[in-house]
Amino acid sequence: MQAIKKKSGPDWSLVYKVFGGALFVYLFLGFMVVPCLNTLTSIFTATNSAGETDPFAVIRFFFAGNMPSFVLNSLKLAVFLMVTVNVVGISIVLLTEYFDIKGAKILRLGYMTTLIYSGVALVTGYQFLYDSNGMLTTWLSGMFPGMNKQWFSGFSAVLFTMTFACTSNHALFLRNAIRSIDYNTVEAARNLGARPFKVLFRVVMPTLLPTLFSLTVMTFITGLCAMSAPTLLGYNSINPEIVRLAGSSSADEAFPQARAALLSVILALFTIVLLTVLNHYERKGHYLSVSKTKAKLVKQKIQNPVANVLAHIYAYVLFIIYMTPVVMIVLFSFQNYPAIRSKALNMGDWTLINYFGQKDYEYLTSRGVTRVRKGSISGVFANTDTVGGIRLSFLMSALAAALACVIVVIAVNYIFKHRNKKRALVVESCLLFPWLLPTILICYSFRIFFNNEIWYVFGQNLYWRENVQFLIIMAYTVVKLPFALRMIKAAFYAIDDELEDAARNLGASQLVTFLRVKLPIVLPSVLSVFALNFNALFTEYDMSATFHSSYGKTYAMVIQNMCNEEGREGYNVNASGRRCASTVFIMVVSGLILYLVYGVGARDLGERLNHRAKWKARWAKLTGKGKKAEAA
Amino acid sequence: MLRLMTRIKDGGAPMIRLDDIVVKFGDFEALHHINVDVKEGEFFTFLGPSGCGKTTTLRTITGFIDPVGGTVHMGDRDITHVAIEKRNIGIVFQSYALFPTMTVYDNIAFGLKIKHLKKPEIDQKVRSIARKVDLSDEQLEKAVSQLSGGQQQRVAIARALVTEPIIICMDEPLSNLDAKLRVQLRNELKKMQQEFGITTIYVTHDQEEALTLSDRIAVFNKGYIEQIGTPNEVYNHSRTEFVANFIGDINRLEGQLVENMRLDPSLHHFIRLERLRVNRDPDPGEYQCKGVIESREYYGLYIKYYIRVADQTLKVIEKNDGINLYETGETVTIGIHPDDLMSYSAE
Repeated sequence: MQAIKKKSGPDWSLVYKVFGGALFVYLFLGFMVVPCLNTLTSIFTATNSAGETDPFAVIRFFFAGNMPSFVLNSLKLAVFLMVTVNVVGISIVLLTEYFDIKGAKILRLGYMTTLIYSGVALVTGYQFLYDSNGMLTTWLSGMFPGMNKQWFSGFSAVLFTMTFACTSNHALFLRNAIRSIDYNTVEAARNLGARPFKVLFRVVMPTLLPTLFSLTVMTFITGLCAMSAPTLLGYNSINPEIVRLAGSSSADEAFPQARAALLSVILALFTIVLLTVLNHYERKGHYLSVSKTKAKLVKQKIQNPVANVLAHIYAYVLFIIYMTPVVMIVLFSFQNYPAIRSKALNMGDWTLINYFGQKDYEYLTSRGVTRVRKGSISGVFANTDTVGGIRLSFLMSALAAALACVIVVIAVNYIFKHRNKKRALVVESCLLFPWLLPTILICYSFRIFFNNEIWYVFGQNLYWRENVQFLIIMAYTVVKLPFALRMIKAAFYAIDDELEDAARNLGASQLVTFLRVKLPIVLPSVLSVFALNFNALFTEYDMSATFHSSYGKTYAMVIQNMCNEEGREGYNVNASGRRCASTVFIMVVSGLILYLVYGVGARDLGERLNHRAKWKARWAKLTGKGKKAEAA
Repeated sequence: MLRLMTRIKDGGAPMIRLDDIVVKFGDFEALHHINVDVKEGEFFTFLGPSGCGKTTTLRTITGFIDPVGGTVHMGDRDITHVAIEKRNIGIVFQSYALFPTMTVYDNIAFGLKIKHLKKPEIDQKVRSIARKVDLSDEQLEKAVSQLSGGQQQRVAIARALVTEPIIICMDEPLSNLDAKLRVQLRNELKKMQQEFGITTIYVTHDQEEALTLSDRIAVFNKGYIEQIGTPNEVYNHSRTEFVANFIGDINRLEGQLVENMRLDPSLHHFIRLERLRVNRDPDPGEYQCKGVIESREYYGLYIKYYIRVADQTLKVIEKNDGINLYETGETVTIGIHPDDLMSYSAE
C-alpha cells in the first residue's frame, strides 16, 4: 500500500512486468507444456503399416507384447526397494542416533558416503567390487569355489546396489526427525514402566512415521524411475527401455517412439498418483511436538549384552558394506593398470597416472613383437575425452543451476509480493509442474519434440549437433526448478516484513531494498541450492543418457564409456583406473560442495566474524605479529 | 549532529496532525476518523490493548499504510500520499528489524549510504550517534546477532536517529526485553529523548510505560481514540469507562454502597485503589463504612487488601510502612470521598 507517484517518461516497472510475464509464459509453454503434450499425443497418433493413424495401436501393442514386463519389473524393484531401503535406512539412523553404539561418529561418516557419490560413480564402484571378475567376487570364489560368480547382475545386483545407494535421504531427513524428538517423552515412558524397545516402538517410531511415509514414497518413485543401476547392471525396467526405444527406428520395430512415450506417460501417472497421496498425507498434518522446552535425545544403551553385541556387529557389517567400495576405489585410483586389471593391490607401486599425465603402452603381440601404443595410458585430467566430459558437465550444470536460481529468486520475490493472490499461486504451480513428471518424460519429450525445426525457437532443431547442449541445459533447469522453489521459498519466509519496512523507511527504493536487504538474507540459501543442484547435475547420468547425443556427452556418460572400454587390450589401457580416479574426483568435488553448503554456508554473520577473528589471531601468532603487538 | 529542537509543550507548533484518518483492510474498518495533534518536541504515546489500532495509526504516519480517508500533515505540509522514503520520519520497530547480514556499523550507516553521503561524513555521523547511545567502537564491528537485546535496541535507535529525522516513531520497542531491562531502558529512552529533543511517537500496550514516559497519551480502543491527555488526566480523570478500566486497577461501586452513598444508580461509579482510606479520621464530606479483611496480597513495596464491604469486595492498596498492617478477618473502617469517584453513564 504505497503512495502513487506520477512520473514522466516510460513506466519501466510496467515494461519489466510485461516483458517478464511474457518470457515466463514463453518458457513455461515452450519448454514444459508443449513438448510433454507432444509426447502424450504421439501415443494416439501412431500410424500403422498402412500409413493410417490408429489411436489405440500402441495400447493394443502394449497388452499384446512384452511391454507390461518392463512396468512389472519396475514395480517389483520399487516394492522391494521400499522394504530394503527402509530396513537399512532406519537401521543406520537408529544405530548412529538412537542407540549407544561405540564409534557412532565414524559409522555415521561411513553411512553418509552415499551423499558424496551416487549414480553412475556408485554403480560402477559396486561393479568394480562385485561383478563376475570383481575384486570381492574373485576373493570370495577363491574361498568358496562353488560360488556363482555371476551373482552380481540383473535384479539382485540392482536391488543390492540401490538399497545402499538410496539411503541418503534417510541419513539426512530421518536423522533430523529423530534428533528433534523430545527426550522428556522417552523419559516419561521409561518412568511409566516401558522397556527401551517398547519405548522405541510405541513412543519414538510413531513420531517418525510422517517422515518415514514421505521417505517410503520417495523411495518407491526412485525405484520406478531407476536408470543408472538397471542400465549398467542389466535389468529390464522402464527407463532403460525408454532410452532404447527412443534411439530405435520404425524400420526395426513397431512405432518405437510412441511406445517410449506410452511408457514414460505410465511412469508419469504412477508419479502423479504417488505424489498426490503424499501431498494429501502431508496436508493432513504431522504429529507435532507439543513441548515448549525440548530435551536433547540421550542415546539409549542396549541393556541385553547379546543384543548389544549383535547390534554392534550389524552396525559394523553395514559400515563395511558402505565403506569398502569407497576405500577400494580410492586405493585403486593410485594403482597401476596391471594391479587394477588383476584386482590385486600392489602395495609397493603407487602412481598418479590415473589422475595426471600420459604414458605410452608397450605390449607383446601374439607374434612376439613388442608394440607401442602412444599415449594409451592417460589420467583423468590428461585424457581428452574425460576432460571434455568434465568441462561440458561443469559448464552445463553451472549454467543450469544458476539459471534455475535466478528464475526462482525472481519468481519467489514476485510470489511473496503478491501472496494470497491468484497470480502468485499460478506462478508457483507452473514452477512446481516438473515435479509431477518423471525426469525421463521431460528429457524424452525434449529429445523427440525438439528434434524438428520448431518455429518458436527461431526455426532451429535443438537436438541437432551442438544445439543439444542448450537443450540439455534447459532440461536440467526445468528439472531443478521445483527443488529450488521449495528451498528458496522457505528462505524468503525468514525475511521479517519489518526489515523491508525499515529499509524503505530509511530511504531505500524497492530495488535497493531487494538487492541490499532481502537478497543478502536469502543468498546463503540460494547459493546452497545452486551448489546442491550443481552437485547433482555435474554427475547426473539419467538425463544425458536419455538425450544420448555424442555432442552432449557428459561426465557420467564418459565414466560409463570407461566401463565399456575395459578389457580391450591396447586401447585406453587404464580406463578402470581412470574411472576410479574420476569417482575420487567426484567425491572430492561433492564433499567440498557439501562442506561449503552445510559447513561454511550455514554460518551467520556473527559466526563468520568470529571465525575470521580466530583465523586472524592464528595468523598473527604464526607470523609473530601478535607478540610484537603485545610487546608494543 | 542532530538538530536540537526547542521543546515547546502546551501551545507548541503542531508537528504531526492527523485529521479524520480512516483506514480499511478489505471490509474491516481499522481506524474510524482518528484525530491527533502531536506538538514539536513532545513525547506522545498511543496506548491501548492489542488490535485497537495504535500500530495502524503509527504506520499511517510513517507511510506504510495509505488511509482511505483523512489527511496527515507534518507542519504545514500534507504528507498523506508522500512516499515512505521521502517523509523523513524515523522508526524503531518492535522486532528492531536490524539487517542480519550487516554489521552494527553498516546497519547504522545504511540510511546515510542510501542518501549518497561521503564516506568520511558517514563515518563521523555513525560514530557520533553510536557514542550517544552508548555503543563502543568494538561493538560497531560486530554482527547484530552478537549483541544482547538491550544493545540491539540501541542500534535500532541509532539507526533511526542518524538520518536526522524530524520525528521518531517507536513501535513497542521494549516489549522484547525482560522486565528489569525494560525498566532500565525505559529511563534511558526518556533521557535520550530529552537530550535529543526530538518529537517522539511511542506505541505501547503497557500503561505503566505510557504513564512514566509520556507528555501526552492517546488511549485507543477498537479503532477509536477514547481520550487524549497528560498521564495525570488520563489516570485521574479518565474520560470513559474503558480508559478508567484499562489504565491502572480500579474498584466499581455496586449495589448497597451506591445506595448508601446516595449515588445516581443510573451511572457506573469507580474509585482507584489508592483513593480508599482505611482506618483514617474522616475528611469533610467523606463517606465511611465498616469492612472485613478477606485476604491480602503481599507485593513488598505495598500490600493489596481485599475488603468485604456491604455486598461487594473492594481492593485497597496500603504502603508497606509497617503501620497499616491488617490481619484477615479484622474489621476496618473504609473512607470514600465523593471527589475521588469517576462516574460514567451506563452504556
